Amino acid sequence: MSQQNNNSNIALRSNENMFTDKEDAAAEIKELKEKLLTKEIQLYRLQSERDDEIHELNKVKAQLEEAKSILEIRVKAKTRELRELTENLEKQISARTRELQEKIKESEDSRLALMNMLEDMEDLRRRAQEEKEKTLAIITNFADGLLFFDANNCLALVNPQIESYFGVAKEDIQQAVGKNFAELGQIGGLQPLVSLMGSLKKITRKELTLNEKTVLEISSLEIGRPNDKIGWLVIIHDISREKTIERMKTEFVSIAAHQLRTPISAIKWTLRMILDGDLGPISDEQRDFLEKTYKSNERMIGLINDLLNVTRIEEGRLLFDLVPVDLGETIQSLLGAYAEILKQKSIKLQFTKPKEKLPQVMVDIEKIMLVVSNLLENAIKYTPAGGKIFLEISSNGKGIEVSVRDTGIGIMKSQQDRIFTKYFRGSNAMHTETEGTGLGLFIAKNIVETHGGKIWFSSQEGSGTTFYFSLPAAGDSALQQKE
Amino acid sequence: MRFLGKGFKIIKIMEKILLIEDEELIIKLLSRKLIGLGYKVSLAMNGQEGLDEMRKNPPDLILLDIIMPQKSGFEVLEEMKEDSRLAKIPVIIISNSGQPLELDKAKKLGAVDWLVKTEFNPEEVVEKIKKYAKKLSN
Repeated sequence: MSQQNNNSNIALRSNENMFTDKEDAAAEIKELKEKLLTKEIQLYRLQSERDDEIHELNKVKAQLEEAKSILEIRVKAKTRELRELTENLEKQISARTRELQEKIKESEDSRLALMNMLEDMEDLRRRAQEEKEKTLAIITNFADGLLFFDANNCLALVNPQIESYFGVAKEDIQQAVGKNFAELGQIGGLQPLVSLMGSLKKITRKELTLNEKTVLEISSLEIGRPNDKIGWLVIIHDISREKTIERMKTEFVSIAAHQLRTPISAIKWTLRMILDGDLGPISDEQRDFLEKTYKSNERMIGLINDLLNVTRIEEGRLLFDLVPVDLGETIQSLLGAYAEILKQKSIKLQFTKPKEKLPQVMVDIEKIMLVVSNLLENAIKYTPAGGKIFLEISSNGKGIEVSVRDTGIGIMKSQQDRIFTKYFRGSNAMHTETEGTGLGLFIAKNIVETHGGKIWFSSQEGSGTTFYFSLPAAGDSALQQKE
Repeated sequence: MRFLGKGFKIIKIMEKILLIEDEELIIKLLSRKLIGLGYKVSLAMNGQEGLDEMRKNPPDLILLDIIMPQKSGFEVLEEMKEDSRLAKIPVIIISNSGQPLELDKAKKLGAVDWLVKTEFNPEEVVEKIKKYAKKLSN
């Protein structure tokens, strides 16, 4: 349908396209127009409302969008943060795990090391035990008796030999363990040992005679370092057998010497009386032979005497009669006996003694004269013809000193340390003089030392020897102090 | 001259000496020497014989060996010591031994001297006899 906005121009048409009343139509159009307008306004309003709503909605939507994007950003950030955190944690965990693994490994190593150490310790303990058992076996089965005292001088160890040596019951010995050295004296059989030793100190081969059959040799030594004392070891060696053999040997020598002396003294006396003319006159030739026989016999007597003296030295009963003497005079009286031999060998002997009185010495004259004659005879024997011997006695402040200097063959340097040894003879001496027992100087040394004196020498091979000995003045003698 | 000289000594000394010794040669030698010097010598071959002899004819001096059969010199000395008649007779020991302990023992039993035979000549034995005989006569 067509419409015209000009009211005046409005024409109404019917449904069959025919116009009807104009007025009515106009009124109706106006009403319609108003209705329409209202509708239009309503529509407009609605539209505007709708637009507002849309706008609001859009705004909300935009806000939502913004919120969403903010949220998204935050979620993202949070997610990143979380991831980082996770990564960090993971890193920390793995580091910690590694650390722990190392720790585990370390402790495993430690455990192994400890196990090894324990094994080593066990090994050492076993070895120590073995050593201990070995030591115990040695100590128990050792031929000598052993006593071991700890650093506090208490008996720590003792072997069964001690029981048999000292006749002490096993129980008593076991009770003695842990006791102090001095307390051992209370245990019957050990008393002699305690009184011999006095205290724990260094002892070298000291003899302990328990009875006729048993002689023990006691030695003791400290064990450990100077600042780390471990204890004392006392060693007891049974020398009963040696002592018996020694005694038998001594008795044999004594008896043999005595038996030898019987016929020899008869020969000596017979020859002397024949030579002295007691049994009638003899020819010069007979005298010559008999003199030589007499001298040979005297040499034999000398040898036997040497043997007897050695026996006495070994028995420790060398000296007998100690008297105070002026040795100067005694020695002088001895020299006459050497006049003939000195003349024969063209050796000059010069004896010197001081004008003032010599201090007296306490001596067994016979033995000291034996020393002087041994030294003098050696000097004569080993000094070639035409040589000189100087015998001198002097005071040395503490007593007397005797020296015998010769111009003889001397003593080889390499043999000088053996010169006082029993049976020793210098090789040049043996070459010069076949006769000699090698006992003279051994005897001399023992005699001098038993008197509390000293003997020594100086010698140069080929030019001579000087022997010296000194004796303490009477009253000053170590020997007397001993007695 | 020689005999005259000896005769002179006889008047001066006239001691009776008892020699107790088991070694025949020593007996022969010493008795010869002593008789030659004018001593009156009686002999015994062992200790028991010696004791019997000295009880029968007490001598002025005794020469006594130590090692002898039956009774040793020490036993002789012991018995002499117990017998007041014999205890004062001087005894000189003549022995082949001469260990300090033996010497000491003899001295304690009253012997006046000890001679080791190998260390003395018969002449020196005589000197000793003279020494003790002199003491006796004084």
